[in-house]
Amino acid sequence: MLKIENLHVRVAGKEILKGLSLEVKAGEVHAIMGPNGAGKSTLGNVLAGREGYEVTEGSVVYEGKYLLELEPEERAAEGVFLAFQYPVEIPGVNNTYFLRAALNAQRKHRGEAELDSMQFLKRVREKLAVLHLKDELLHRAVNEGFSGGGKKRNEIFQMALLEPKLAILDETDSGLDIDALKMVADGVNAMRSSERAFLVVTHYQRLLDYIVPDVVHVLADGRIVETGDASLAHKLEEHGYAWIAERKLVGAA
Amino acid sequence: MSAALLEEFGRGDAREREESWRYSKMALRSLSQQNFVAADTGAELPETLRAQFDWHETRGRRVVVVNGVVSERYSDFADVGAMVTVGETGGTIAVRIDGRIDEPVHVVYVGVPSAQPSRWQASTAMVVVNGFAHMIEQHLGVDGAGVLGSVRRRIDLGDGARLDLVSVCDLPESVSLYRLLDVHLGAKATLHATHVLLGGRMQRLDMQVELAGEQARLESRGVFALRGRTHADTQLDVRHIARDTACDIVWRGVADQRARGIFHGAITVAEGADGSDAKLSNKNLLLSAQAEIDTQPVLEIYADEVKAAHGATVGQIDERALFYLRSRGIPLAEARRMMMTAFCREVLEGITDLDLRNRLAGLLTLQLDGGGS
Repeated sequence: MLKIENLHVRVAGKEILKGLSLEVKAGEVHAIMGPNGAGKSTLGNVLAGREGYEVTEGSVVYEGKYLLELEPEERAAEGVFLAFQYPVEIPGVNNTYFLRAALNAQRKHRGEAELDSMQFLKRVREKLAVLHLKDELLHRAVNEGFSGGGKKRNEIFQMALLEPKLAILDETDSGLDIDALKMVADGVNAMRSSERAFLVVTHYQRLLDYIVPDVVHVLADGRIVETGDASLAHKLEEHGYAWIAERKLVGAA
Repeated sequence: MSAALLEEFGRGDAREREESWRYSKMALRSLSQQNFVAADTGAELPETLRAQFDWHETRGRRVVVVNGVVSERYSDFADVGAMVTVGETGGTIAVRIDGRIDEPVHVVYVGVPSAQPSRWQASTAMVVVNGFAHMIEQHLGVDGAGVLGSVRRRIDLGDGARLDLVSVCDLPESVSLYRLLDVHLGAKATLHATHVLLGGRMQRLDMQVELAGEQARLESRGVFALRGRTHADTQLDVRHIARDTACDIVWRGVADQRARGIFHGAITVAEGADGSDAKLSNKNLLLSAQAEIDTQPVLEIYADEVKAAHGATVGQIDERALFYLRSRGIPLAEARRMMMTAFCREVLEGITDLDLRNRLAGLLTLQLDGGGS
């Protein structure tokens, strides 16, 4: 589904990703772990199409298309979703209005019929029920005045509603208490399917106790330096990221 | 040359005038270099223009002023009750409202061009003795050789009276308009005014509000949305004269392409006007590198116990929010429109009539839509 090859990315003149390669197949959940400053968030932002990231080398192919050539809204319509590390507050734009505009814009792009307000609300209620969320968030402006946890819940709610093919979670677990963490994990687990893939970017192993990944990658200094199964996350938690760096040094010697 | 025009619009001494026209000097000069003829007060209104003001909800309560003169032909005030009396003295239309009028009175000013640039003037004095009045004021124009209009309006709100004023000025790029709105409020009187300024070669609103009676209150909402080479200049001058008076001013501005927007909000709390509460918020968005917005809040306080807060900003559209919307699948143009509409709509929230609020929101969206390209 997603194939990243030798990706080099600069931010404000500084090289952050230095030859990252990664392949994610449909149905898989990949975790990307790594120390602060390794380039984890840069990866998510580049895939979603944020400005200010200069790709100097490499390619990203998603479902047979060159992803980096698409506008952010086109990527979304093609099924790419980024759950933001810092969701943005948009005063004056009602959450329901925003979500319906987003869903219908995506459907229109894909040549599907737009949902009328009744159909849309029915779908919203279903998703709220699955995630055990209250409908008060529908009446408010996008993320306005939401707590940190509330914003992350809203990201997962949006993901559930938009039903992407490739969902990238950028440190969605940061700043969450255990209940919110479980809610996020339940939301992801409920959506796991053979047609959908997840890229879970996280600093801690904790989230991966609830979302058990198929593959774990360690990202350090702009490259994937280690790949393994779910047990790799536990080893990292035990030994810390320094362990990887040391092992690399030993291997190189 | 400009002096003659200023004299006609005239208020204050020469120095004050000069300072307040600082940002509109060039626009004024270019107007003063034109030779205007008197506008044709019997001009025909094209169907497309009539459609802009022929709102079903104000039929029977509409006054249409064509190039400064009340038009018998286009006005329709069959349903304006006995509580309203209209007279005329020395060229000034005098309106007196005594009682409660729930249905809005719709006053439409139209500038229709002649073969050459033309000009017109109108003057109104309105007294609301008590009770409540709701007025919708609409300024429209027809594109052509250019029209310069000038409207002076004096409003006196008696003790306890309330006026809800909604004013929409939607002008083509060849039409200019000067407006002086001079309001005096008695004790416990309230003015809730919403101004929407769209387009115009040069439009200027001078709004002077005197909170002369105790507990008088001004709620001023306003927004300008400009593109092309349009120019809109708003000068608010609010004076707290009596004790426990309040003003709450929220204005927004958006300028795209080569448009120019000016907002000057002056609040003076006079000596002895203790217990006054003054709030002013002005936020603006610049959508192009060639557009310009100047904002200046001025607070002068001569009383001891006063609550005052003011803030003014000029910024650009929030790129992070724009990316957030796009990352969910909303195309760039629509994402921009959503954000600008949200930015401007805040000022319309005080309008309780939902039909009217939606009409204004529609006009704003229409204006902003063209600005997205």
